[in-house]
Amino acid sequence: MKYDVMVVGSGIAGMESSIKLGDMGYKVLLVEKEASVGGRMILLSKVFPTLDCASCISGPKMSSTINHPNVHTMTYAEVEQIRRGEDGRFTAAVKQKSTFVDWAACTGCSDCQMACTVAVPDQFNADLVPRHAAYIPFPQAVPKKAVIERAGTSPCIASCPAGIKAHGYVSLIRSGKYEEAFQLVLEATPLVGTLGRACYAPCESECTRSLLEGTIPIRRLKRFVADLHYGDGRGPGVDVAEANGFKVAIVGTGPAGLTAAWQLARAGYQVTMFDSAAKAGGFLRHAIPQYRLPHDVVDQDVANVTAIGVEIRTNHAVHDLEALKAEGYDAVLVATGTPRSMALGVPGQDATGVHTGLKFLRRVSEDDLPSIAGKRVVVVGGGNVAMDAARTARRLGSADVRVAYRRGREEMPAHSVEVDEAEMEGVAFEFLVAPVEVLSDASGAVTGLRCQRMRLGEADASGRRRPEPVPGSDFVLECEVVVSAVGMEPDDEPYEKVTGDARGHRIKVDPLTLQSDVDYIFAAGDVETGASDITHAVGHGRRAAYMIDAWLHGRELAGFPLFDDPLGVVDHESVLARQQSYTHRAPVRPGTQHSANPVGFDELEPAMTEAEALAGSGSCLDCGVCSECQECVRACPADAIKLDMHDHQVEVEVGAVVVSTGYKLFAADLKPEYGYGQYPNVITGMQMDRLLAPTRPFNTILRPGDGKVPDRIAYISCTGSRDKQVGNPLCSKLCCMYSIKQNQLIMGSLPLADVTMHYMDMRAAGKRYDEFYEQAKDMGATYIKGRVSKVTELENGDLRLRYEDIENGGDIVEAEYDLVVLAVGIQPNRDVERLFTGEKLRLDEYYYVAEPSEELEPGQTTIPGVFVAGTAAGAKDIVDSILHAGAAVAQVAAHLTQSEISEVVPV
Amino acid sequence: MTGPVDVQIGKPPEEGDGQRRIGVFICHCGGNISDYVDVAAVRDALKDEPGVVVAETTMFACSDGTQHDMIDQIREQGLDGLVVASCSPKLHQITFRGVSKRADLNPYAYTQVNIREQDSWAHGDDPDGATQKAINLVRAGIGRTRNSEPLVPLVVETTPATMVVGAGIAGMRAAIGLADTGLQVYLVEREPEVGGWAGRFGAMFPNDRSGREQIAALTEQVSRRSSITVLTGAQLVGKSGSFGNYEAVVEVAGDPPETIRATVGSIIIATGFDSYEPENGEFGYGIDGVLTLPEFKELVDAAGGGTLVHLGRPVRSIAYVYCVGSRQPGGNEYCSKFCCAATAHASILVSALDPQIRQFHLNRGVRTYGKYELMYTQARENGAVYMTYPDDTPPSVEQGRDGRLAVTTTDTLTGGREVTIPADLVVLVTGMVPRANTGLTDLLKLPVGDDGFYNEIHPKLRPVETVVDGVMVAGSCQGPKTATESVASGMAAVAQSAAILKKGVAELDPLVATVHVDDCTGCGECLTTCPYDAISTRDAGGRTVAEVSAAVCKGCGGCVPLCPTAALDLLGYTDAQMTAMIDSLVEVPVS
Repeated sequence: MKYDVMVVGSGIAGMESSIKLGDMGYKVLLVEKEASVGGRMILLSKVFPTLDCASCISGPKMSSTINHPNVHTMTYAEVEQIRRGEDGRFTAAVKQKSTFVDWAACTGCSDCQMACTVAVPDQFNADLVPRHAAYIPFPQAVPKKAVIERAGTSPCIASCPAGIKAHGYVSLIRSGKYEEAFQLVLEATPLVGTLGRACYAPCESECTRSLLEGTIPIRRLKRFVADLHYGDGRGPGVDVAEANGFKVAIVGTGPAGLTAAWQLARAGYQVTMFDSAAKAGGFLRHAIPQYRLPHDVVDQDVANVTAIGVEIRTNHAVHDLEALKAEGYDAVLVATGTPRSMALGVPGQDATGVHTGLKFLRRVSEDDLPSIAGKRVVVVGGGNVAMDAARTARRLGSADVRVAYRRGREEMPAHSVEVDEAEMEGVAFEFLVAPVEVLSDASGAVTGLRCQRMRLGEADASGRRRPEPVPGSDFVLECEVVVSAVGMEPDDEPYEKVTGDARGHRIKVDPLTLQSDVDYIFAAGDVETGASDITHAVGHGRRAAYMIDAWLHGRELAGFPLFDDPLGVVDHESVLARQQSYTHRAPVRPGTQHSANPVGFDELEPAMTEAEALAGSGSCLDCGVCSECQECVRACPADAIKLDMHDHQVEVEVGAVVVSTGYKLFAADLKPEYGYGQYPNVITGMQMDRLLAPTRPFNTILRPGDGKVPDRIAYISCTGSRDKQVGNPLCSKLCCMYSIKQNQLIMGSLPLADVTMHYMDMRAAGKRYDEFYEQAKDMGATYIKGRVSKVTELENGDLRLRYEDIENGGDIVEAEYDLVVLAVGIQPNRDVERLFTGEKLRLDEYYYVAEPSEELEPGQTTIPGVFVAGTAAGAKDIVDSILHAGAAVAQVAAHLTQSEISEVVPV
Repeated sequence: MTGPVDVQIGKPPEEGDGQRRIGVFICHCGGNISDYVDVAAVRDALKDEPGVVVAETTMFACSDGTQHDMIDQIREQGLDGLVVASCSPKLHQITFRGVSKRADLNPYAYTQVNIREQDSWAHGDDPDGATQKAINLVRAGIGRTRNSEPLVPLVVETTPATMVVGAGIAGMRAAIGLADTGLQVYLVEREPEVGGWAGRFGAMFPNDRSGREQIAALTEQVSRRSSITVLTGAQLVGKSGSFGNYEAVVEVAGDPPETIRATVGSIIIATGFDSYEPENGEFGYGIDGVLTLPEFKELVDAAGGGTLVHLGRPVRSIAYVYCVGSRQPGGNEYCSKFCCAATAHASILVSALDPQIRQFHLNRGVRTYGKYELMYTQARENGAVYMTYPDDTPPSVEQGRDGRLAVTTTDTLTGGREVTIPADLVVLVTGMVPRANTGLTDLLKLPVGDDGFYNEIHPKLRPVETVVDGVMVAGSCQGPKTATESVASGMAAVAQSAAILKKGVAELDPLVATVHVDDCTGCGECLTTCPYDAISTRDAGGRTVAEVSAAVCKGCGGCVPLCPTAALDLLGYTDAQMTAMIDSLVEVPVS
């Protein structure tokens, strides 16, 4: 795209420049990094010395800017780079940041803002109050459109193989929206209760709070809402699309199959599930012991699926996939998992008393308890099945249980919590031990397990060090029961001849689309990946459903956006860096009691109380800012929220550039002696302007510490200006005047309040400025010449100022105030440094844009064709910024006229 | 927080009753109005006025959101009239006429009612009275709109030329800027030479560049541009026509004086300032060795890097007395703004001549704002002593018997001690005062503030424009400014001129006199009264009737009351409209 001029920054100088250039007939591109034009002026209360409200001046200019036929405004956009070409024109790359809201549809109704569950400091209210992650910048924003602030995908969400919006439901729970939290998980999978218990919660390992005092109890929060929901017994409570006429068969009722069935049935498919077992649930029921995952929870989760019309045919093994097609199913999903245990592979493995882990657990799950009371049990293996088997064996009255594992503890594939809990329940471990032979007596009953010691050699393909036998280290573990849990694999009988096998008897499908060479056959879960865990199976089930839906509707099978095209994950450091303060939050611990002699299969982990749930969820740091809780999506009447939006870059060619990037306010905490950031009743001038503005946050002037309306208010001028200690010897020019303005407004608003300003020199330099100062004195404000050396906080939140009273004898005096306002000065906005590539835009020694011939060529910079307007070139008040912008406009017009590089002839 | 926005839709008019459909918007102005005027009460009182279809209150009528809402209402409700009760029409009449245009509503069916400057601000002590006044004012505005007729702006072609009055540093730079955007320029200077104050000085702050050299550079630039006509010894003595096509008459001194006429689209006034001239005896002014700031600057420049000499004697000590002619209660009350920095700069120059010269700056607070602070720091680092005297105890300057000067001051920093400083020179830091320009001011009808400087329309909304269309002000004729700031404001005036003239056409308000031909008897009374010669006669089917030239008529309305048969009307302020307004104001109609 081509424009005559690009204006960078839409504060008062940028707007003035754009409007005037547009009036001259030039085509202008105005780029603003915030979602609204207007810069800082629109945030002010009134403006000196006329006391016009800032909105009355800035508001119409904002409107003129955005509605100008010759001005194209890109808000929420950032200039990435500008380069000057040999012809004197510029090429620029502008990044349009994702607003995650379709602005063409957005009406600015602010329903999303009201529904949003995330609160972050409101930069448009000088951090005095929070705003939402979904927000319209301020009431007079132009354009008045909503933005969802997303710093990226929160680490908890990014780490979830099931794609569950952990941050989202945590955020909903802290907002008291428990059912919404349940529904958010239900969006992904029907297994809410299951995941609330049996998930290994990779989200918690990635939780940024775990770098502080401990993770947020994300998994148990999910259980909390699941228990609440199921306690009502009202069914899933979801909408199901109208039947679309397609029929899908799903073989296997484990987590992958159930999740796929859920997704497809909700989308209008007629789904039939098949399982060889008597009850649905797969490993959830048959492998995970009830002390971790009670069967009634599995039943509740499965009932979600049947409640929306999925038929589950149990005791119905499927041997012929092609027959299903012939029966009228349009697609078949194989989700049969890894039901086969691998053999121990040593002599004597068929002795009486040798069990495979899976069968052992399944028998227990079906109440067919193996009689091992009083017997000694050796469990071979180091995975989760081994742990489940060992802990189950403890509950069946065994004399003792030992786990033999050929590597060390660190190498165990079982989740560390499982290992720890097994140990707490009296399970003993033999590490670096491999079975050699099962010993049995004449009746064929096990008497022991001959083992050999191992040592760890080189790393194998999986990255783990390969165990090697130590020669001559054989020994016997005496026992009556051996449980073999050394691995599992799929049963390829139904598909081997149809789709073919991949490695380890797994079904052969495209790992991205999960489609096999036989186009109607898809696969999901462990049958495709090999043994993994519930979350992976759920994620796979979602992917399979997406792909089947796409295939049956004739869409191209490309990636699954949820997993294949997410927003980049936010890193922990940036989250911690943006926190302004931490409150130590005591982590909510599970409080599970473990007995060294566990009895029975009752669920171990206690439920969370509501107080715990609120405390736990309330500690969330909102890593990604937006939690993806979807409340805005539900609330938006225009269906405008698009959380999958991506940034995009726009290339433009322009004849001239106006840099109007403004200034930054001095960070008052760099003057620690004034206590900003430590004492809540020390605020900045910008914060006071917000307290005075018509759109002010509290509808009165109050001090933030305790909400008291202040009676004694002090100003400290030159905070961060005329101060070599902070590296700024310059005067900021506008702070005296805005302080005087605020003094007058406060006296108007709080007639009984005493207003005092501690100043060095009163820089009331400008048309009617000194008169304005005199007027403030006449109104009763007190002006004390002398710098304040220190502010101390008293117990009641009041503040004691220590200063030299120059005009009254020069004594050191202390005075107490209710509220202290720091008249912070301005600092250069050094973002300009990275705007230009190639040729460097010269800055002056204080990092403002240099105007090498400021006397006769205001606005001219060191790059021909680049002009500066407003405070980007140094401290200016609004009037001077507007005049300076006018000068920059004249310079641009002369440049374009003279070089005749403008493509558009001015009208 | 969003402000309260109440919507009340009145009864739609009966089918075919010929009633107007008027929308009324009453602005809170973020509290400026609503803190004193009960805007909801105003709305409730007026929502059933004849013709009112929409009556709303709004936090900020001028905000983009409300503008959009107005446009939606105009379209959806089919409004044919708009009344906004908010601030002065000086601020936002253009804004809401623009809203009307965007909604395809005739902009002259819009009336702005000022319930801020003329009501809420004036009657802060009487909220009930202010509310009642607002009701009456808005009702009058409704009456005016109800009787409005659609008008079409007069479109005139503009002349792409500008006259710059004053060839100081701001005027000269503005002339170059105008020429570089493709406009013809007439640069008119009263003095025989261009250059103004800057042309008299050597090194100037903030970058030590010579004023003379800068003026020489500008002179050279001006001479290279054939589109600039420089007239020195020249004064603007006549102006007629209207915005876009002013006929300017310039008298150039000479024997005989020459008169030049030029057609220009706009005029930039850059006539600068005068330096304050102290009264004889004011701070010892009149005594040898007591100089004003410009006199001193010329002395420093004259030293030319050598020795600072006054009346043949080398200067060893200097006392500067600040705020002479500035910040004086009862006198010039304003701060001249540039003098603190200029004096710090002069002080640095003096130290460069001879670091041993002792310098005492007797000030009332040093206002070296922005980057100028660095000069203040430098001056002090050079050893200059800054002493602050109380506002009510100015220093006194006396000449001792030895002829040396002595300045006695009260020094705040030493606890208010009285100190007497012997000095070879006393520099009175004199500020800027408005130039005596009565002729020009009267000719152009330029608005002058109580400080004597020219007033812009609004310092932020329209900072270089005056209430006279197409006449702009730039530089220190508008108020004290540094040279750098003057140049910037001159350039801003260039931008404003170019923005209006480069379109090639200008729209003029059609608020001019009109003749009801049927009622006109052709008596000729009106012809004699028009100060602009805008009225003539024509033949209308055998009758002689008056005719008004819309382009020449200024809309002053002077002819209207003179017409014996009420055949004249002023568009936009017709008798019907004015009567309706007066009726609304004087009586409370029965609704």
